[in-house]
Amino acid sequence: MDPEEIKNRIKKVKSELETQEMNDKTVSPLGVAMKMGTEFVAAVFVASFIGFYIDKWLETTPIFIIIFFIIGSVAGIFNVVRSSKMINKD
Amino acid sequence: MANPMQQFEVKTIGPKIEIGNLDISFTNSSLFMVITVSLISIFFVITTQKKSLVPSRLQLLSEMAYQFVAKMISETAGSKARPFFPFILTLFLFVLFCNMIGMIPYSFTVTSHIIVTFALAAFIFVGVTIIGFIKHGFGYLKLFIPSGVPVVLLPIIVVIEVISYLSRPISLSVRLFANMMAGHTMLKVFGGFVISLGLVGGWLPLGFSVALTGLEILVAFLQAYVFAILTCIYLNDALNLHH
Repeated sequence: MDPEEIKNRIKKVKSELETQEMNDKTVSPLGVAMKMGTEFVAAVFVASFIGFYIDKWLETTPIFIIIFFIIGSVAGIFNVVRSSKMINKD
Repeated sequence: MANPMQQFEVKTIGPKIEIGNLDISFTNSSLFMVITVSLISIFFVITTQKKSLVPSRLQLLSEMAYQFVAKMISETAGSKARPFFPFILTLFLFVLFCNMIGMIPYSFTVTSHIIVTFALAAFIFVGVTIIGFIKHGFGYLKLFIPSGVPVVLLPIIVVIEVISYLSRPISLSVRLFANMMAGHTMLKVFGGFVISLGLVGGWLPLGFSVALTGLEILVAFLQAYVFAILTCIYLNDALNLHH
């Protein structure tokens, strides 16, 4: 193999590395399914937690926990929609 | 009959060490973490001993591990994330080896404890947030303001975005922990059925156990992969801010 060819090859690999874009095709379907379930639950959990402590702090039980539970559910759906968008992008 | 949850018990090995109120004794969990780390080190030392341009089979193994992670990073987070390659590789191999060592009978699965996975996830979360602020300054907060949202809706959207950002370490850690714990419990339960049903009815659960073991090995790999790829995705958010 002559040095010229090796140089060209190196150049090709380098340009390939730089132009590689976001690509989620490689994530397996099972992993995606598990990801979505936990993402939804985690958002609800975090939001309820925040609501619970705001309530405890302001002594307004149960106003904020209800509000944050709803916001958390919305955030959870947002998460799921976002990850499904990511899969559909390609 | 053995309790299916008994396998997750953390026992201290050797003397009890306490600093203040903190119990930092060496446990079977720590032992298996040490085993994991030394196995990974041994793996790389052995496979890269004879470095040649045309790789031997052993060298190919470590090159495959390298390439797998390198490809994952460049595909999900782009070329800017390449400086974080050592971290992602370490993380991926640590979780993978922990999961796989857990599949050996009588061993302990480190990743089946939420505190272990949460510590990893919290570290990633804090690290990614710091990287985002270093790279973009306060512009990183733009992550919480999606483009094209009417001003009226902004207060609600920002709260939702913040909550969805805060839920990342929880979903990351719970996913790994729940998968590992559920799988190992199920294996143990089916194993218990084999004994209690005896020679007559024990064959069906035995078949199930064999099938589940295969599935568990797949899950062990998949969860390590998902953990690493999500870290890459979060890193991508911090490095290439686009919303």
